Amino acid sequence: MTTPLLTVQDLAVSFPGQSGPVRAVDGASFELNPGGRLVIAGESGSGKSLLCRSLLGIQPETATVSGKLEWKGQSLVSLSRDQWRPLRGASIAMIFQDPTAALNPLLSVGRQIIDAIRAHRRCPRDEARARAVEVLGMAGLPDPEHRLTNYPSELSGGMRQRVAIALALSAGPELIIADEATTNLDVSIQAQIVKLLRRLRLDLEVALIFVTHDLDLAAEVGGDLMVMYAGQPVEMGDVQAVLADPCHPYTRGLLRSAPTLRTTREVPLQPIPGQAPKPGSVGAGAPFRDRCPVAVEGVCALQRPGWSQAAPGHRVACHRFEKDGRAGLP
Amino acid sequence: MSTPIIEASAITKTFPGRRGGQPFHALRNVSSKLFEGEILGLVGESGSGKTTLSRIMIGIETATTGEVSFQGRPVQSRADWKALRRDVQYVFQDPFTALCPTMRIGAALAEPLAIHRLCPASERPERVARMLEMIGLGPEMARRLPAQLSGGQRQRVSLARALMLEPRVLICDEIVSGLDVSVQAQVLALLVELQRKLGLSLIFISHDLRVIRYLCDRVQVMLLGQIVEEGPAAQVFDAPENDYTRALLAAIPDRDRLPVSESA
Repeated sequence: MTTPLLTVQDLAVSFPGQSGPVRAVDGASFELNPGGRLVIAGESGSGKSLLCRSLLGIQPETATVSGKLEWKGQSLVSLSRDQWRPLRGASIAMIFQDPTAALNPLLSVGRQIIDAIRAHRRCPRDEARARAVEVLGMAGLPDPEHRLTNYPSELSGGMRQRVAIALALSAGPELIIADEATTNLDVSIQAQIVKLLRRLRLDLEVALIFVTHDLDLAAEVGGDLMVMYAGQPVEMGDVQAVLADPCHPYTRGLLRSAPTLRTTREVPLQPIPGQAPKPGSVGAGAPFRDRCPVAVEGVCALQRPGWSQAAPGHRVACHRFEKDGRAGLP
Repeated sequence: MSTPIIEASAITKTFPGRRGGQPFHALRNVSSKLFEGEILGLVGESGSGKTTLSRIMIGIETATTGEVSFQGRPVQSRADWKALRRDVQYVFQDPFTALCPTMRIGAALAEPLAIHRLCPASERPERVARMLEMIGLGPEMARRLPAQLSGGQRQRVSLARALMLEPRVLICDEIVSGLDVSVQAQVLALLVELQRKLGLSLIFISHDLRVIRYLCDRVQVMLLGQIVEEGPAAQVFDAPENDYTRALLAAIPDRDRLPVSESA
């Protein structure tokens, strides 16, 4: 049995609120093996970005992380700044949504990558420079040797995201977290970046956490899927299995409200009524209850659902499913 | 065939280059027609010129060469443009910047009525209330400020403001791009309902081909300032003729086109 790279159990990220702590992430649990992949899907406010940030210890200062969070058996929950340093960027790297904000506009691409390499490993400048060219090449930037002298403003959005990927690769991480890393890109560039991440995962055996709001894109990335709603995971399993047989009313609603290349006005989309709850307003009970067409009266408002098994490796946190199985789903 | 309600003919738009740089050709001899009651989709990636074309059609931007006609007549004088802007309304991508942050929603919706002197001031509150109801927001919204609304609610208000003048044409520039999927579906459903109820003609601009497929009767695909393919939506999506259209369709993530092979 392999030791998991990352073990997350009942992780919560909370902020101080007027009436006690507000849990913006609540009850996240998953394991990631070396070279594994996990897609975290959810809409804005679902806590997916905050969860990722807590995996790197870069959550806002007012946030408190609790629960179990282990990197190869070592707890990450209360590391000091100095203890984070050898891990962050070196073992766990992150690619952010906006490459323009992630790169320093005043430094050349080469300088930024070389600095990152030398921050983690003492080595001569020449060696770091050679490594910078290597990672830019791995990230699929054409003519990497000459790109070193470019500034971010001289590159297109897709190229900038490739530089951000090169930066993430520079210290040879074992886990890359891509937080909506393709959201602002054109679709053809998005397809290229997803393909690149899939290839890097296989070539370098690096594990991947891919965060997205797009379930179709989740399917393209593959691996395990965790659907989040209002800070809580509501459904988990292999992405193909979950999309083929979604068992949480929210996952089902999300799929019915997302058009595909075959949906037309003749078969209208079915929007989920209402809007997502504010963080912390969920309290006890099922997070989706107010918008759920099949909420169980007297139960969903009071009790938080536990996990039920939908199929081997596919679980769902829903009272209705627990009570009536698939027959009870909308 | 009937006269298009709005038509752009042989539009070219060139932006001057920065200090001796090359000029940028945003549009090269592009023509577009919108017919009564149809939804026309403009698709393309960033920089393809779809927004510039639509801005020229409503006169926010002027064409370098070419002409815009409205109901068969060329639009030339200031008075022509003002008349066009009563009947053709524009909804912007970002509802956060499209609404004045210090203006209450009621006032923002009443303003177009005042500008175009459509009704006595005393009737405005009632018309605002009716509009809020039509777009599925409560009357209490009139007293709110934009900051008190969610993104989806704000986009509904932007739509409502455009509809206050009872326009015949609505130009929607990426109006659902910044919204979550579940909210996007709400706004799309509202748009379909309004289009049917009010008999609107729509130009819908998006980079998301899935939304375009859902909404549009006819599609124009743009690339680098030119239209590379156009036709009925079913034809463009099911039997694309242009290589770029095919590449664009292939790049759309699709849960049904799988499984993904491990070899990537």
